[in-house]
Amino acid sequence: MNKREFNIVGKPVVRGDALGKVTGRAKYADDYRFEGELYGVMVRTGSSHAIIKGIDFSKIEKDNSIDAIIKWEDVPGSKNVGPIKPDQPVFCKEKIVTPGDVVAMLVGRDEKRLRELANDVKIELEPLPVLNDPEKALEGNAILIHPELKSNLITHYPLRKGNIEKGFKQSDEIIEQTYTTQLVEHAYIEPECVTAIPGEGNLKIKIIGSIQNPFTTRKVVASVIGCGLNEVEIIQAELGGSFGGKDDTMNIISARAAIAALKLNRPVKIRYQREESIIESYKRHPYVLKYKIGYNKDGRIRAMKIDLLADGGAYASMSPFVTWRSVVQATGPYQIPNVYTDVRVVYTNNPYTGAMRGFGSPQPIFAIESLMDEIAVRLGRTPFEIRMINGFKQGSITASGQKLTGHEVTLCKVLNKAAEVSSFKTKWHKNRDAGNIEESSKESLILKKENFVAPDDLWCKGIGLALSYRGCSLGAEGIDAAAAYVSIQPDGTVYLLTGLAENGQGLKTTFSIVAAEVFGISPDKIIYLEQNTSRIPDSGPTVASRATLMGGGATKNACDELKKRLVKLIADEWKLKSTKDLYFAKDAVTYNGKKKIRIHFDDLIRKAYAKGVNLSTIGWYAGPKVHWEEETGHGSAYFTYVYGCQVAEVSVNTVTGEVYINNIWAVHDPGKVINILGAEGQVYGGVTQGAGYGLWEKISTHEGKIRENNFDQFLIPTSKDIDAIHPYFIEGKDKYGAWGGKSLGEPTLELTAAAISNAITNATGKRFFNLPLNIEEILLRKKLYPEDLKRGSTA
Amino acid sequence: MIPVKEILLPKSLDEVCRLLQNNSGSSKIIAGGTDIIPGFHIESPRFKSIERLIDINGIVELKEVTVKDGFISIGSAVTFSEIISNDLLKDQIPLLVKASKTIGSKQIRNRATLGGNFINNAPCADSVAPLLVYDAEIKIKSYTSEKIMKLQDFLVKPYGTRLKSDEIVTHIFIPVSQLKYEGDFYKVGRRRAVSISRISLAVLINTRDGIINDIKIASGAVTPIGTRFYDVEEFAKGKIMNDESEKDIAIKLGERILQTAGVRWSSEYKIPVVQQVCYQLLKKIENGKYLI
Repeated sequence: MNKREFNIVGKPVVRGDALGKVTGRAKYADDYRFEGELYGVMVRTGSSHAIIKGIDFSKIEKDNSIDAIIKWEDVPGSKNVGPIKPDQPVFCKEKIVTPGDVVAMLVGRDEKRLRELANDVKIELEPLPVLNDPEKALEGNAILIHPELKSNLITHYPLRKGNIEKGFKQSDEIIEQTYTTQLVEHAYIEPECVTAIPGEGNLKIKIIGSIQNPFTTRKVVASVIGCGLNEVEIIQAELGGSFGGKDDTMNIISARAAIAALKLNRPVKIRYQREESIIESYKRHPYVLKYKIGYNKDGRIRAMKIDLLADGGAYASMSPFVTWRSVVQATGPYQIPNVYTDVRVVYTNNPYTGAMRGFGSPQPIFAIESLMDEIAVRLGRTPFEIRMINGFKQGSITASGQKLTGHEVTLCKVLNKAAEVSSFKTKWHKNRDAGNIEESSKESLILKKENFVAPDDLWCKGIGLALSYRGCSLGAEGIDAAAAYVSIQPDGTVYLLTGLAENGQGLKTTFSIVAAEVFGISPDKIIYLEQNTSRIPDSGPTVASRATLMGGGATKNACDELKKRLVKLIADEWKLKSTKDLYFAKDAVTYNGKKKIRIHFDDLIRKAYAKGVNLSTIGWYAGPKVHWEEETGHGSAYFTYVYGCQVAEVSVNTVTGEVYINNIWAVHDPGKVINILGAEGQVYGGVTQGAGYGLWEKISTHEGKIRENNFDQFLIPTSKDIDAIHPYFIEGKDKYGAWGGKSLGEPTLELTAAAISNAITNATGKRFFNLPLNIEEILLRKKLYPEDLKRGSTA
Repeated sequence: MIPVKEILLPKSLDEVCRLLQNNSGSSKIIAGGTDIIPGFHIESPRFKSIERLIDINGIVELKEVTVKDGFISIGSAVTFSEIISNDLLKDQIPLLVKASKTIGSKQIRNRATLGGNFINNAPCADSVAPLLVYDAEIKIKSYTSEKIMKLQDFLVKPYGTRLKSDEIVTHIFIPVSQLKYEGDFYKVGRRRAVSISRISLAVLINTRDGIINDIKIASGAVTPIGTRFYDVEEFAKGKIMNDESEKDIAIKLGERILQTAGVRWSSEYKIPVVQQVCYQLLKKIENGKYLI
């Protein structure tokens, strides 16, 4: 299938948007200005859980910098929104359930003044008990976050395969272990920003913003202001990072701006400061992961009992979909005959959690990949061997009973390659023999002489690997289809637009390459149009590493259709019996049959226009049907999968707990690579973000309030923290997408923390169960926090 | 948000002092601005009353590094990037250069100044421990007076110094020592750049025939303010530079810090680690592998 030679697919192509972004010319949401625009500033309570007894605006409402105070009664349509459960109020009326909650919005010209006035709103609250611990959410006496829902349970997914009791009986050894993962922020560099412009032309409202999923935003805004979808237009500004984070929050902020803009008949801009962005926006789910795993002396896993609990925070958001991916992938990429999984996600008063790159996979991967290493050590085998024994092969059956066919199962290939390029086995043995650090069990803070570490033992090296499979696109979450509009202009240049959004991953360039390949022209001849919901069919959200697969498929279908029309024209012109020997390459179409004929692409297009050939079309690409049985967790969860293996090599300072990442080898099968530069970029970014998740990033709360509300405390990796990242691609064959181009964005992130943790264990002899592995965790196996939110510099 | 009404750009030190005259706290000197500007944004009470900023970047004598009368003189508005690339400082006071490299990021080091690093007396200021072991003194000027003070005496309490509102720190003086000191600096941060120090430690030692003739130890971030440990130094002097005494010194330092700082939320990590770091620094000095 992949035997053909490519003109441009797989070669390095510099992104079309790169120059604008590095020179500052690119226009981000806050770069737009509109005549007469006003600003919207949120009023929050600072409380985590309380009944609103009254809100007193009397101190500020006469202030002439206020044009309007928008409250829940100003919402013309739906007062509550949410992608799955409509449980999140646009403005809170009776109750506060999390610190990010907004009770009102001040609108006026002087944003700075509005921010001061927001502090003068008097809100009378009756405090309610705060539920911060997800493990207590389902207890009988737990306070209900949304009493009308009768339970704090958002979703429960069971999965049953084989006979779990029998499986453990057949096992020679059993390990039981609990892991935890933390709450993290997406940390997009550009905070939320949107402008709503009322009544342009036939539109009720036009919105320009830093929006990840314009069609979802349109749906929410239309529902909140109570109008037809075709009366709302969403335009995506250049996005300064999203990682799954500019979905629900942006939708609700867009709706607030729209309400105010319609009420005042003026453009209204909302732009968040970093602190409020971190306080209000949703985050990655913290998980408590309980695993019981039974295996035989030969290394084969017989049974796995998995109990996962996710903290959904105050609103359901994407929790049901996030945790569904967890139930599908919780066993890791291993064929296990007996599986018994329960995944639950619950409401608490914590910041709500939703979509973030990885989407329910980094948490179970940390647990399962830690366990695989532990089994290896207990059986005197290497981590490589244990994974080779249990890993999916062609035709393996997943936990949900899906047979892996129809695509090349490259799990063992990526594992082999990663082990080979990193010299994994040799280094793993060597590091293990080298040195261990002692478990700290000091009664006193003052050291004894035997506690001091000799300089030669100060830094320990370690190597660790992690392996995963990942279902591509949405799977049984929902309808999976995408559209692409392609229009060849009379001079041979091309317009291209798909219904998927550029979120920084480079899809404009990827799709341009696909179109350029089909037509045999340079991607420079293609202009990718502005993302606008009025111009292209709804193609679902740009999530789940689905853009290249679905949008690539749609772009190729559209281009193939136009190419077909051109081929017919040429066959008629040149009186060809067969079009087998027609080639579209190097800006020309060549016939390489008995006679040789060549026409420049531009000339061909001129000819086509002269003949009245329609050279515009919308291509459509729909994924095949998948299915899922809720009660048993059986089904063909996703129509295809990708595979990846990462190896981390780290240095650990055994006296300070500092970790330095020397190397990450990342071997991924994304299917066919469309743009090698784009693919490598995904690896560099995903690995760095995954390393942050493993070592530094954590949002903690004190009485429900966030401590790390800016980047001085919420620490993401810098270029100084990671040395070399080595990307490798194994191009597994597949029939889906454009030439089998599938997914890469999320796989690159989901493995890194697990690989780093295993490397640290290899270096220190200590195994860790609680992310992130920060300096205190490495030395003390716990996190340390100040007693209050005060900071020295502000005290 | 920035509450300032005016920003002044004086051309001379005299003019600065004149502008500071009768200042009750509404005027503040700004050089790099890497403390003040973010401080405005988080509405730090330290900067709430500021109405007027006096920008000292245009004053040449505050940007100079010179040697005179046995002292290295560094203008208070010299940036960390300038310190890092100064050959004289690299040669004479390498611990300060090493500490400077750990501050913030390149962009921050291009703006942040030596004076600005200690003027607010933040416990985590990375230049303070090296300056203390080099026995730094500072020159303070007002319209009517001029004085020289030990940095140690200047730093009073967290975010508190002896600076009066009509004064400016103009220079940092470091005595050129006749003795040959060997030493090193280590900073523990959560990451390798743009990192607020959890612990910093500077050690200088002069040995004679393998015996500690003189030693200077100072810390940052692990004590309420940057601190010299004179009693630990006295304890160490005269000891043979060997593994046994290095451990004794490290333990003594741990005890002293615990006494000074008390048990805090971070002590469980910091107290054992600072002893280990001290021991590692002493070992490196003993083995001649310092400041690599």
